[in-house]
Amino acid sequence: MCGVEMSRRSQRIQQRLQQQVKPNISCREGHDSIILEGVVDNWAQVVRAGKLAAHEGYKGVVNRLAVEGLTLPPPRSPKLKDTALDGLHVDVLIVGGGVTGCAVARELTRKNIVVMLIEKEDDLATHASSRNNGMIHPGIEPHPGTRRAHFNVRGNAMYDTVAAELAVPFTRCGSLILYQERWERFLGPLFMARARQNGVPGVHLVNRNEALALEPHLTRDFSGALHMSSTGIISPYLLTIAYAENAVRNSARVSLETMVVDMKVREGRITAVRTNRGTLFPRVVVNAAGIYADAVADMAGDQFFTIHPRKGEIIILDRKKGHLISHVIAKPRLLQVKSDTKGGGVNRTIDGNILVGPNAVEQPFREDYSTDRDHIELMLRRYLPLVPELSPTDLITYFAGTRPATYEEDFIVERSQYVRNLVHAAGIQSPGLASAPAIAEEVARLTVNALGEVTQVGDNPTFDGHRQGIPEPERMTWKERDALIQSRPDYGVIVCRCEGISKGQVVDALRSPISVTSLDAVKRRVRVGMGRCQGGFCTPQVLRIIGEQNGEQLATITKKGGDSFILAAETKTVRRGS
Amino acid sequence: MRKLTCIVCPNGCSIHVNQDVDPWNIVGNLCPRGIDFARKELTNPTRTVCSTVRTSFATVRRLPVRTRGEVPLASVRSVMSEISRLVVDREARTGDTLIENVAGTGVAVVATADLADLIEWEDCDGRPICSGD
Amino acid sequence: MIVRNVDIAVLGAGPAGMAAALAAARGGADTVLIERENHLGGILKQCVHDGFGLLRFGEMLSGPEYAGRFVHMVREAGLAVLTSTFVAEARRDGDESVLMLVDRGGVTELHAKAVVLATGCRERSARQVMIQGTRPAGVMTAGAAQYYVNVLGYLPTTRCVILGSGDIGLIMARRLTLEGAEVLGVFEAKPTPSGLSRNIAQCLDDFGIQLHLSRTVTRIFGDDRVEAVETAAVDEKMRPVAGTEERLSCDGVILSVGLIPENEVAEALGVPMDSVTRGPLMDQNGQTQVPGIFVCGNASHVNDLVDYVTESGERAGAAAAALVAGHRTRRLLPLIADSTVLLYAVPQFVDMDAPESGAVVYFRSREELGVTVVQVTAGEETVTCHRYQHLRPPEMERLEIDLSRIPSDVTSLNIGTESVAVAEVKS
Repeated sequence: MCGVEMSRRSQRIQQRLQQQVKPNISCREGHDSIILEGVVDNWAQVVRAGKLAAHEGYKGVVNRLAVEGLTLPPPRSPKLKDTALDGLHVDVLIVGGGVTGCAVARELTRKNIVVMLIEKEDDLATHASSRNNGMIHPGIEPHPGTRRAHFNVRGNAMYDTVAAELAVPFTRCGSLILYQERWERFLGPLFMARARQNGVPGVHLVNRNEALALEPHLTRDFSGALHMSSTGIISPYLLTIAYAENAVRNSARVSLETMVVDMKVREGRITAVRTNRGTLFPRVVVNAAGIYADAVADMAGDQFFTIHPRKGEIIILDRKKGHLISHVIAKPRLLQVKSDTKGGGVNRTIDGNILVGPNAVEQPFREDYSTDRDHIELMLRRYLPLVPELSPTDLITYFAGTRPATYEEDFIVERSQYVRNLVHAAGIQSPGLASAPAIAEEVARLTVNALGEVTQVGDNPTFDGHRQGIPEPERMTWKERDALIQSRPDYGVIVCRCEGISKGQVVDALRSPISVTSLDAVKRRVRVGMGRCQGGFCTPQVLRIIGEQNGEQLATITKKGGDSFILAAETKTVRRGS
Repeated sequence: MRKLTCIVCPNGCSIHVNQDVDPWNIVGNLCPRGIDFARKELTNPTRTVCSTVRTSFATVRRLPVRTRGEVPLASVRSVMSEISRLVVDREARTGDTLIENVAGTGVAVVATADLADLIEWEDCDGRPICSGD
Repeated sequence: MIVRNVDIAVLGAGPAGMAAALAAARGGADTVLIERENHLGGILKQCVHDGFGLLRFGEMLSGPEYAGRFVHMVREAGLAVLTSTFVAEARRDGDESVLMLVDRGGVTELHAKAVVLATGCRERSARQVMIQGTRPAGVMTAGAAQYYVNVLGYLPTTRCVILGSGDIGLIMARRLTLEGAEVLGVFEAKPTPSGLSRNIAQCLDDFGIQLHLSRTVTRIFGDDRVEAVETAAVDEKMRPVAGTEERLSCDGVILSVGLIPENEVAEALGVPMDSVTRGPLMDQNGQTQVPGIFVCGNASHVNDLVDYVTESGERAGAAAAALVAGHRTRRLLPLIADSTVLLYAVPQFVDMDAPESGAVVYFRSREELGVTVVQVTAGEETVTCHRYQHLRPPEMERLEIDLSRIPSDVTSLNIGTESVAVAEVKS
């Protein structure tokens, strides 16, 4: 397209933003994107402008609008600084240890190449990948023709195999979207058409009696439902860790507390990547950096999108109510078919808790996981009535996550158009978890192509996609459990009374292929502290086990890396002025 | 008029003392101990001090202790300081005197648990450690 | 996998469980005492402060001393004790209970003719009182803090705020201060303190620690560790009042916001519960609505005095042994508490055919009351009445009913107040 046309388009957009958002916003073209610049009054205006500029023929929206008086904090960075990785040459460097990056790493180890994954936190799956509802979406919500639709449906179908290979518990629980009579005429055909367009199997309209036969504890206040049998449920952080452990078993390397500082790009290729642990020389870089994927793209000189963080809060209810439902239960939002995010609802997690939410809140902070009382109470009021036997007193905890959404509200899964050895797996918001196996397959293919331009790539003859996970005694028969304890007495010492987790599981978590030392890392692997007492009884015991296994003083053990020490000082050593 | 909460027993009687008369008028107590408490509290308040001391045993780092009797309220901090400096390296038993006269109060500090019990029961692997190991 | 049979399984070896097991064994039953931790004594082992045992022993003992006396008795009696043993599953099998026990030797299937639940309680967590904000290190319950300080020998905070004026929070305010930490204040959402007055005096007043009533912690700040909290005043419905927020720098938040009886095993055994006490519905001997399943101690309702906990354990253990020795039917009369003046009363049922003529009733008033007469009536008859100088919700009271004074034709008992004098408690 010619220069004049492009300018006219950007002028048109600029005019629209100046009229509808704020008069001082300016737009210009660059790098195939539309770049927004200026200062506005509040974050809602930033998001509004970004959305208005999207889908106008540009590759993406780069939103550099700032808010008057708002300074955004820098990314949480590792305190570690050394040269452990300095001078390392690798075939593929994956930036980001969420489900996308870890799945890509595992897929790449099918080839005979050197794979390194770096993650800035002290563990994998600390951001979006551990802060979602674990739902493997059926693929009916994304707009047809989007990458989200494509990868969701494809990924969903892969889960039985992936979960079995990686020894991660997975269930195709199915989902029910309940609707009221007045919407029946619209939604039924709309959803069925969408299912056909996206290629979603197992979608049926059911009447109220049929729905209640599937879920006897549901509210009676609906007239019919959409039943989707391909919906599944999994532990998203366990899956992420399983992917990474299998990758490591197949000779990939994972370096935690490692953050990209900058990149050297020459003649359209990344030649070096500088981190807090030294400079690496990768042949190909995969950008799977989640909420900071735009920053990583920028470092490579290829930013054509901006992430706007959309927070979601989630509530967890006591496991003893878990038997009430098995499907994911949701209500449609009136504009759901046009909305960017799910309606939220109630589901049973793979561990048997009930999960409520998520909601969706546009806000400027990428790593702010604080919650808001009004939001939590609103979600309880809104979703608990779906299953009348649930009560607010069943609440055991709530938390938040951030969706790394682009303004186009779609995945970016492609080779960079400008940097020949860069592959993007960015903007992976919902249904990112469901899509992960398919995205990983595609990103691996693109990466191998890029790699193949500079070197020979053969298959890895010793690739073994099977992972042996940490035993879960609670899922065994009594005989199996007895036999396990006979061989591993630590499995008979229960440290987490609410969830029945044994010392053996904690020890195995600490001895797992990717070395971790914090309380939250152990929690993600074996669920200690996730029960109704929220770590009140077990935390001291887990601390002792970490200290014992790692030969550490208790005071050096952290909750989540960095300075998050659980204990401040020894008693008998602190003296306050009188 | 002074108002005190008696700490002798869980009742926590609210005691009012009128110091303008002689003898003082003391009301609010449900039992005679409250009278004694009120008088003492306003002339020479005392408290028991319960705490822990360090041990030289790696698997049982602290031993609970208490003062055998009450010490002046004003000396609680120095009592705590002296307790903090103690390290028990033998198998003390409940009631054993660990400090004869703490912070010059004339009151002893005693163990309130059997160290052997704590060692035996507190081992991380549940293995009883025999004394001498 | 081992299969065992026993007359009575006592779950939990804290003060309630030890008393129950001793009484059950004394009653001639083949008894096993099961404890998930690696020591006996339950929560008492970490309660180094004194104040325990005034009623039972006439002495002011520390927690470890009180527990130690019963541990000694358990040893002397040669009781069968299983420590580091966890009840992974519980189910009914006809008239018996089947417990799946997990310990480092493997799995044991234990069949018990009677079960005494002495499983204690757990602490309410930050999110269960709707505290918002981030989730840094440095937020914990008072019981967890107590364990760190007294058992492991560590200060979990050097400068903290305590939410909740229950006894555990007050005790920890003093304990942390004595060990050199700074306690910035104790915040209590209710307009009156939750703990014993004597603890306000000897834990807060002694150290100049401020108690802020009708004020709560609403938000926690800090990424890795706690950096500050936001406190706010609350209204009569205990909801934060906008505009009253204040920020306090600190590195720890200690929560003492309520205890919840642990009854997962009771529920698994199908025992009907009381939603007010959060314990099972029971008779004066601790027998629940499921014959052969007993409850005692903090699992039945949250107690203040360990002496009463011991007492309830003894009754439950003795009654369990009597049941095993010779089954008899019960004749249960509901004991209905007047909920306008009482928070609750236990037991919720009185067994009229029990061999003992006395039944002990525990209750809590709903509000602070001055001179009050509490009475138990059976129809028009007054069965017993007792005059109290004052009643406070945090102070559980006890009275005894003489069953022989209850007419045989009544169908229920009532407990309430005769004449109420609501006195303003001047502070």
